[in-house]
Amino acid sequence: MAAILEVESLTKHYGDLVAVDGVSLTVPEGEVFGLLGPNGAGKTTLISMLTGVLTPTSGTARIGGYDLGSQLRQAKRLNGLVPQDLALYPTLSARANLSFFGRIYGLRGAQLRQRVDEVLDIVALRERADEPIERFSGGMKRRINIAAGLVHQPRLLFLDEPTVGVDPQSRNHIFESVRQLNRERGMTIVYTSHYMEEVEALCHRAAIIDQGRIIALDTIRNLIGQIGGGVVQVGLPAAADWYDALAAEVAELPGVQEASLVAAAEEAPEEGQAEDAFAPSAGSMLRIITRQSQEALVGVIGLLNQRDVTLTSLEILEPNLESVFLHLTGKKLRE
Amino acid sequence: MGALQIAWKDLRIAARDRGWVIELFLLPLLFIFILSGAMSSLAGAEPGDERMALAVVDLDGGPGATRLVTELEATGRLRVEWLDEDEATAELRRRELARMLVLPAGVSAALAEGEPATLRLVTHPDADAEHTELARTLIDGAVRRLLLEGQVAASVAALAAEGAIDPAVAEGVVAGDLVAQVQDRPLLRVDVRPPQTAEGAEEPMGFPDAIQMAVSGFLVLFMFLAAQATARSIYEEKRVGSFRRLLAAPMGRAALLGGKMLANGLTCLIQAAVILAFGLVGLRWLGLAPISMAHAPGAVVLLVVAVALCSTALGLLLAALAKTEAQIGGLGSLILWGAGVLGGSFVPLFLLERYLGPVMQLVPHYWANRAFQDVIIRGMGWAGIITEVAVLLGFAAVFAGVGVWRFRFE
Repeated sequence: MAAILEVESLTKHYGDLVAVDGVSLTVPEGEVFGLLGPNGAGKTTLISMLTGVLTPTSGTARIGGYDLGSQLRQAKRLNGLVPQDLALYPTLSARANLSFFGRIYGLRGAQLRQRVDEVLDIVALRERADEPIERFSGGMKRRINIAAGLVHQPRLLFLDEPTVGVDPQSRNHIFESVRQLNRERGMTIVYTSHYMEEVEALCHRAAIIDQGRIIALDTIRNLIGQIGGGVVQVGLPAAADWYDALAAEVAELPGVQEASLVAAAEEAPEEGQAEDAFAPSAGSMLRIITRQSQEALVGVIGLLNQRDVTLTSLEILEPNLESVFLHLTGKKLRE
Repeated sequence: MGALQIAWKDLRIAARDRGWVIELFLLPLLFIFILSGAMSSLAGAEPGDERMALAVVDLDGGPGATRLVTELEATGRLRVEWLDEDEATAELRRRELARMLVLPAGVSAALAEGEPATLRLVTHPDADAEHTELARTLIDGAVRRLLLEGQVAASVAALAAEGAIDPAVAEGVVAGDLVAQVQDRPLLRVDVRPPQTAEGAEEPMGFPDAIQMAVSGFLVLFMFLAAQATARSIYEEKRVGSFRRLLAAPMGRAALLGGKMLANGLTCLIQAAVILAFGLVGLRWLGLAPISMAHAPGAVVLLVVAVALCSTALGLLLAALAKTEAQIGGLGSLILWGAGVLGGSFVPLFLLERYLGPVMQLVPHYWANRAFQDVIIRGMGWAGIITEVAVLLGFAAVFAGVGVWRFRFE
């Protein structure tokens, strides 16, 4: 399949801050491509450059063969952007909002009316079309936000965190809409999120982005395959010199792929937990990438018993993108 | 086409915003109605009667006093109301009167004999100083004329007594006629006319009355206040993210800003139409004297367009400088209301000019007010306001230039 999006060494600086650092990727037409990373990783900045909202500091990008530097307007015609914010006019009706965005892309008359009705059907809000959207629920507004990016039938749709603050019902509806657009219309979708479940559920391939750089890019299966049977994290009491040797011994155990020692203080508070309520232990953490988590766990506990080491905590992480991100960056995705 | 779509969308959104409608359309009409009505009643004017009201308290009751009042009315600038002293004083205290003239006992005798007499002109502290000065000048002129008549009559009588002229001739001389004859055939007459007065127009006063000042002043003030709405609209688009969506659409950044500015420009034009229509027709319905600009509609259109451009460019500059909604409110109010005060939207230009001097020329409101008053009050055509229009367009160019330079799309 021909590439609809080709990005080469794209970079964006804000003074000394490097928001996007030499990103290169290619997305073939018809793919649902995920951009996964924590808040502030540079996903929105990257999308902003690809949609012509921001001018790159350096690097190139082509959409449908059109260069974003020299053929920006042609490239924009192929794009649709669904921003993270509810980028709508609350006092206008859903239909008036969609008609406005259609007209901006050059649609007029019967064609415009037909497209507006079509996208209202896609987001299942046709019966509410003439109400001001300020009366809509948060989820319904999100759906109209998506519809506004679809009304001109783009070949490439950028969905930037489309489910933030959405109720489960609307979230499921958004998922179904994404699948339908890709399956039935062959629309290419670049889907950014910091929810690994969404990227796992929707995307064929994904790039994991952190601090402006792509640190992994592959199919979901291959990305998760990097950590085999999952990750086991074992909390150890006060730091000791011989823990390095212990980690080396653990790495040789059956079912273990890789083991490393990390300072327990690296662990950040869970989402929603107050900073001052989080008291990192003074000890260390043994992070074990397993091939088979149960087999590895039995071996690790046996070894720690032999060495008379008491576990201060134990965490078993399923093999998923969250664990991959932790493996690659040492951080949790939602920190 | 994108600019037109954005402008039309902005106008639709604005029309649904009651605050916007009240602030930009109803408030100026209310200001004009209240201020022009209140100041007209202070000046004592009746609808359609441009003469200044003057209450006269006659404590003399003689023919000289009556004659003086007749002379005052004959100037055509004063409308005399006879009141007793208590009544006039009470009305003055209630601000129903702006000024009263007290003719003390003995004034008729003094006038007849050419002797000095003291007349009292009592004014309310809030009374228009320029009008009071005009009243004082008219009274002074009438008194001098009557004194001259008295002196002429006394001289003729003295000449007859000395046998220099035939007493029968002297008896037939009417001093008033002699004075009038001299005044009608002066050695030198100077006619002062404002430049480019429209043919057939009434002789202009040169100074605005309360209604003319209110209409032109608030028209300028509120057209410039629309700039704040433009800045808010751009800020709001950025805040909700729709600005980002528009930037991603296949149109240039110039079209995006152009659309936002076009909405402001159209708002200003609609505002001007509403306010001028109110000044022309609405005031009459409300029992007040309407403004007149029938002699120079082209000049009014030219001026309205220049002010609309200037206001629009100022809106862009505000949007570029202010980073938060609070800054738009604070900075906008400071600039727009401050410039309105400095530029003569609240106080007549001729009074402010004495106090502030050339400082006023630093704000576009001054040039707009000056031009509107030249058209509405002094009857000038488009050629007479070309300097003001050029200065306004210059302001617009500077505002737009700095606004585009400082504007942050990202």
